[in-house]
Formats: sequence, C-alpha cells, structure tokens
Amino acid sequence: MEGRLGGRGPTRSQRKLACCATFLPVHQERRTQWLKGVLDLCVLATLARRESYGYELAQSLGAAGLGPVQGGTLYPMLLRLQRTGLIAAHWRGGDAGPARKYYRLTEEGERVLRESAAGWASFVADVEAIMREGLAE
Amino acid sequence: MNQDRWLAVLAGELDRRGIAAEHAAPVVAEAATHLRESGEAPLRAFGPPEEYAAAVAEGLGPARWAEETRAPAGGIRLDARGIGKGYGRRRVLHNVDLTVRAGQVAAVVGANGCGKSTFLGICAGLVGADHGRVRVRGTIGYCPQYHGTVDFLRPDEHFVLVGAGRGLPRDRARAAGLAAAAELDWDGATRTQARHLSGGTRQKLNLVMAGLGEPDVLLLDEPYQGFDRGSYLDFWQQVWRWRDAGRAIVIVTHLLNQLDRVDTVLDLTPKEAVPC
Amino acid sequence: MLTRTRTVAEMTLREITRRRGVLLILLLMPLAFYLTRRGDHLGQSVRFVCLGLGWALSTAALFTGTASRALEPRLRLTGYATHQLLLGRLAALWLLGLVLSAPYLLLIRLDQPDVGHGAVALSMALMVAVAAPFGLAVAALLPRDMEGTLVLLTVVGTQMTLDPSDPVARLLPFWFSRELSTYAVDDVSVDHLSRGLAHGLGSALLLLAVAAALAAARLRRRPHLRFV
Repeated sequence: MEGRLGGRGPTRSQRKLACCATFLPVHQERRTQWLKGVLDLCVLATLARRESYGYELAQSLGAAGLGPVQGGTLYPMLLRLQRTGLIAAHWRGGDAGPARKYYRLTEEGERVLRESAAGWASFVADVEAIMREGLAE
Repeated sequence: MNQDRWLAVLAGELDRRGIAAEHAAPVVAEAATHLRESGEAPLRAFGPPEEYAAAVAEGLGPARWAEETRAPAGGIRLDARGIGKGYGRRRVLHNVDLTVRAGQVAAVVGANGCGKSTFLGICAGLVGADHGRVRVRGTIGYCPQYHGTVDFLRPDEHFVLVGAGRGLPRDRARAAGLAAAAELDWDGATRTQARHLSGGTRQKLNLVMAGLGEPDVLLLDEPYQGFDRGSYLDFWQQVWRWRDAGRAIVIVTHLLNQLDRVDTVLDLTPKEAVPC
Repeated sequence: MLTRTRTVAEMTLREITRRRGVLLILLLMPLAFYLTRRGDHLGQSVRFVCLGLGWALSTAALFTGTASRALEPRLRLTGYATHQLLLGRLAALWLLGLVLSAPYLLLIRLDQPDVGHGAVALSMALMVAVAAPFGLAVAALLPRDMEGTLVLLTVVGTQMTLDPSDPVARLLPFWFSRELSTYAVDDVSVDHLSRGLAHGLGSALLLLAVAAALAAARLRRRPHLRFV
C-alpha cells in the first residue's frame, strides 16, 4: 500500500512538540512509516463502527493519535478500497450542509478487516517478543 | 493557488489523464467539500493538483477510462500483408502483417533499428517494399519522426500549407490547426518560426499537421519526443479522440505504458534473438 | 488545382525572404561579379553579372530544394501532386530571380547606355529561367547543401574560365549568356542572338525536364501501396 502520509512538512503542533523533545521528529517519522502499512486497516476499522465521510474520517484518525492524515493520501486510498469492494459509498445531504460522500464497510470489507486484525495482532506480538528479548539482554 | 483555481486545475488534470467525467466529477466535488469543511489550503491538504490527479488515477485503477462510450471498430482502413524489406544483405522486415480498422489504435514496438520507421514509411508508400502489399481505404496523415516541419515558416503557415493539400481554404486550415494545437495545450498562433520552437513544441506542430484535414489513417512515428509529462498525456487523449472519431491509428513507440489500451501491438523485434 | 501551386509558391517565397543573410549575399553576388570586370571589357562585365545572377539564383534554388526534401513526401500524402510542388517552387524562384535582376538591368542601363538593353534583359530572363530548375535538379540529386554548393561552384567556375568557343563550354547550362552579351555589347551578327536564344531555351527545357523527372521519381507512390 503506497501513499503519502502527512507528507508535506510538520504541522504547527508537530513543530511545537519537536522543540520540546529532540527525539520526537524521528519518532514521528517512524510512526508515519508504520502507518503506511496499516492506514487502510485503520480506515476499515473506523468505518466498521459507523459510516463516515472523508473529512470526518481524517479527524477521527487524527484524534485517535495517528497524527494528521492528509486528504491527498486519504481520498485516493478510499477510491482504492471502493474499487476493491471493501467499502461502498453514496452521496448524501445538501439541504442544510454540503453534499458529502459517505463510506460504509461492505461484507467483504468486514471479512478482510477481521482477518487482517488477527494478522496484525500476531505481527505486533512477534515484534514485541523480539523487542522484549533484545531489551532483556 | 486559491481553492477555485486548484479545483479547476485538478479537473483539467483528471481529464488529461483520460478519467471519465463520471469518475472525475465526484473526486473534484469531494475535494471541494473537504476543503470547505476543513478550511485547509488545498496545496497543504492535497498537494499539487497534478500529483493528486495522479494518485486519484492510481486509486481508481483501470476502470477510470470511459471505455463504455467506445464505438465498435469499423471497416478495415489499413491492411499490410507479408511486408519484407532489406537494406543490402541485411533483412530488416520479414513477412510482417498488420490490419487496422476504423476506430482502432495499433502500436508498433521493437528495439532500435528493427525497422519500425521503415515499416511506417512502407505503410505510407514513401519507402519501397521488397515484398508484400499495403491496402489503404481513405486518406493518410503522416507524422515523421524528424524534419516534418519547415524551419523558416511559422506554425500557422504550416497549417495553411498542409490545409491547401487537403483542400481546406486558408481560414479553415488555420482555425483547424489552432483548435488542434489547443487540444495539445499549445497556442499555435505564435509568431515564432519553427526553427525557434522547442523540440517538444515542434513535435506538437508536427502532430497537428498530421491530423489536419481529418485523414482516415494516421501514421505517427514516435510523435511525443520532447513532450513533458502533461503534453504526453494530452497526446494520448488526442489519440483516443481520433480513435473515437473512427480513425485508424498506427503509432511507432518504444514507451510501453499505454500498450494495455491499444487494440493491436506489432512487435518487430526479430523472433530469433539476433540483435539488430 | 491552382490554389495548391500558389500556396507552395507563397510559402517558398516567405521562407527565402526570411533568410535575410542569404538574401543579402544573393543580391550582392552579381554586383561583385559586375564590378570585377567593370574595368577591362564591357561585354565581360555584362556577361559576368548574368553569371552572378545565375549562380545566386541556382544557390537559392538549391537551398529551398534541400530544405523541402523531407517535407515534400509528406505534402504529397496530404494531396499535393508532384507537379504542383515543383511548379510552385519554380514560380517562387522565377519571381525572386526577376526581382533580383531588375536592379542590375537598371544599373547597366545607367552605367552603359550604349549596349543593347533588350538583349541584356533577354539574357537575364533566360538566366532566371535556367538557374531555378538547375538548382532544384542539383538539390534533387545531392541530399546535402554542401555538396550541391560545390557542384554549382564547379559549374560556374568552369563556365567563367573555359574558352567559350570550346565545344565543351556549350554543354554548360549558362553558355548562352556569353552569346547574348556579345550580341548586346558588340552589335555583331544576329547569329549570336539566335544561338544564345536556342541554347538558353534548350537548357531551360532540358533542366526543367530533369528536375521534373527527379521529383517524380523521388515522390512516386511505391507500387506496393494501393488505395482501395
């Protein structure tokens, strides 16, 4: 899964963090790297709770601690998930607020999410085990 | 770049990439909604419109093309049978066949020196063939790889010159040339003589000349040399438009990234692995 | 269709007139020829100015011929007939030649009031008629400017140095100008006039035929291609 994540320089909040702890930018960069592999799963998981639209998704992911997710990354990924049938979309609204494209998980998406979540958990466990052994030395 | 401008450029870039309106319009609308709700600057949220359009094209995958509007291929326009050609003792072409119908695009590929340009010249009747025959139904528009333009003439004079051959009056030739130039994102009304045009722009002129007067068969010899990325996309858009208008098109190319969309690929690389 | 011939002529003229440097040299070349022989013999200076015109125009024809080499096959495909391409180019060159000649005719008229100006004009007109197809024929035979220029240089140089009474000299395309100049300057028998006229017309027709044959051969549609 390729794509850009918060690609264009640190945001103001990131810069604020960076001035307080020098290891943070490196840390942030690594998180960005990790996120590349799991952003689609995070999107699927967020949509598993309830249907949502692009901007709201970006906000919930950000609020969940993933940092800012740029539209330039998020929407192409949504298109890809839609193309592969993991999510479905429809336009709604327009009376009071703006017309929004709402995404929801399909059955196929639920299945992929379940499988991937298990895969992710075992991957994290493996990584943790390696780290633990390394630190115990 | 303000929001409206950014969205307009995005729409243009999506169109340039051949993304059908039914796919492109929601993408632009969704980006507009996002920008309005978040209040972010478009460059910050989405990056340059060209890059975002490329990411969208990739996200949409091959389904993005408006294939469903495509008319079925028509009658045979170009039929080359058993073409053979040698220079001295060196065999360049051996028993080559190619059939292109109205509304079809054929790509001629192969390593350098394998006779791609020679084959195109034979199809145009400009180069003699040792064996075989070519049948053409309709008129030919030919875009040579080199020296297709006149150094000391301006683009509009080229249009008039080619137009007269096609039987177009001066004004109509000029108007048709300018319109075709605009499709390639180029202002053909420039007063610059051909010798002062950049390589890519001269190729655009070359291409416009080939398409002038709506020939039935277009023979294009690596016509995109010197094009930047955007011009290259415009060029393929022009090819699809020609195709959808029922022309038969043969393109000599060594770039393979559009080959999944052409109807026929003729590979002239010799079967036995003799380097040529 | 006359429009096509006219369009080729127009574009050829536009092209030539934009080569400012070449045009200036073309215009001055006959003058240099004229002035070198101005001192010794009137007949020589008149003959030399004609040769200068011939050289200038055949060089111009050579340049347009080679410049259009790659374009003409393409124009053939858009609907031009070979004769339209050739005649258009010739018409432009002939017009250019007449325009180049005019100031020299005027110069001779002012500078040498006693020579037969009608014969000089005739010589110049024939020179224009011969030089244009000559340059185009050379261009059709030799693909590059450089080689063609050398051939023209050889022909004009030979013409200047060879004894005009030598029978070989008559094989050269510009020989007639000697006869006509002699007639114009020395008021000799009308034989010179008729000989010059015959040679000039013969050269012009022969070179036209050669240029036409070469163009037809080069621009022929190959027999393997058939429009159905």
